[in-house]
Amino acid sequence: MAGPAHPEAMAPPKPGRTRTAPPQMPSTWWSSPRIRTYLLFDATGIIYFLVGFLAIKIVGQLGAGPIAWQAQMKALENPIYILFHVVALASVIFVAVRFFRLFPKAQPPAIGPAKPPPGPVIHAGLYVLWIGLTLVVSLALAGVIF
Amino acid sequence: MSTTEKTIVISRFDPDKDEAPYTQEYQVPCDPSWKVLDAVNFIKDELDATVSHRWSCRMAVCGSCGMMVNGEPKLTCKTALDEYGDRVEIEPLANFPVVRDLVVELDGFMHKFESVKPWIKRVKERAEDMENFNEKGTYSQSAEELGRFKQFSMCINCMLCYAACPVVANEPEFLGPAAIALGHRYNLDTRDEGTEERHEIFRGEGTVFSCSYANECSEVCPKGVDPAAAVNQAKFGAVIDWAKGLVLPRAPHAAD
Repeated sequence: MAGPAHPEAMAPPKPGRTRTAPPQMPSTWWSSPRIRTYLLFDATGIIYFLVGFLAIKIVGQLGAGPIAWQAQMKALENPIYILFHVVALASVIFVAVRFFRLFPKAQPPAIGPAKPPPGPVIHAGLYVLWIGLTLVVSLALAGVIF
Repeated sequence: MSTTEKTIVISRFDPDKDEAPYTQEYQVPCDPSWKVLDAVNFIKDELDATVSHRWSCRMAVCGSCGMMVNGEPKLTCKTALDEYGDRVEIEPLANFPVVRDLVVELDGFMHKFESVKPWIKRVKERAEDMENFNEKGTYSQSAEELGRFKQFSMCINCMLCYAACPVVANEPEFLGPAAIALGHRYNLDTRDEGTEERHEIFRGEGTVFSCSYANECSEVCPKGVDPAAAVNQAKFGAVIDWAKGLVLPRAPHAAD
């Protein structure tokens, strides 16, 4: 039914007078839908880790000259890279949705005399900001603006 | 009223006899109105008097009867048995050392609790110098000021949040949701002058920044305290306090 947790989890500061069994955690702790969402949330860090390496590689190729840059751009057309970027985009959306849901309640009740707006307003505002910035950057990269 | 027989599986451990916990099954005729605690009490009263468990108020205000029910931390006096099928597995709260059967060691929690200085701390010595002091000799606090921390004062120390927290399971030094929520409660209290001191505690190892915002503590909290909100508000406060400390002189710490 249960497996071991860290052997010193919730241990008293000095040993008690009675021998205790070590702390346990449910052996099926990973199967709860909430925990799976949380583990997936944390696992997206691996994607960002790989994105970081790819970004460094691309910048390196940019500095290596036009031939290296063209070769890198050609390599990025490989279906493996495209699939990786689709997964990265999905993980960004997933993390953003979860983060935006939890962000409002992490706000302090007041900063000096100023109170933050209500939770739903913050929640909606985050989406407006995200989508707005994405549009601006996309249009800028496409050469439509700036 | 007709009863339904359920198999109640209880984790057993006697420190004088057993090397490790084991499970024991009981066939219990359960009334449809029963809570999980009623089944455990029936087992102790009618089937096996050696089963040890904690309980007290039976109305979800004392926090004594927290146990793992089918792998989820629950207050057993508040959890209806009808929510479960024919087999119900009851274990002691996860992440705590087990004293006996369903009873866990609490000293570790009490130590973490005390470390956040969960009391009103005052710096000024003369009552007349204290802010909000009025002619009746009491501190004035508006309803709005009370509203800022009231939610976090509703904690009944049931420790379900500790049983649910994945960080508690893996980092023994982590203060944990309830202790941090309580420290944050006093930080938000306008009568308190120990905020800087608590924020210094919160910037230490194993405190607020160990939280990874799994939000499990708030999901299992039976009183709607939302400790995840408190911990993450405390992160913000600790950082702001650190930044202020770079440019502003620190106020003297209040005596304990």
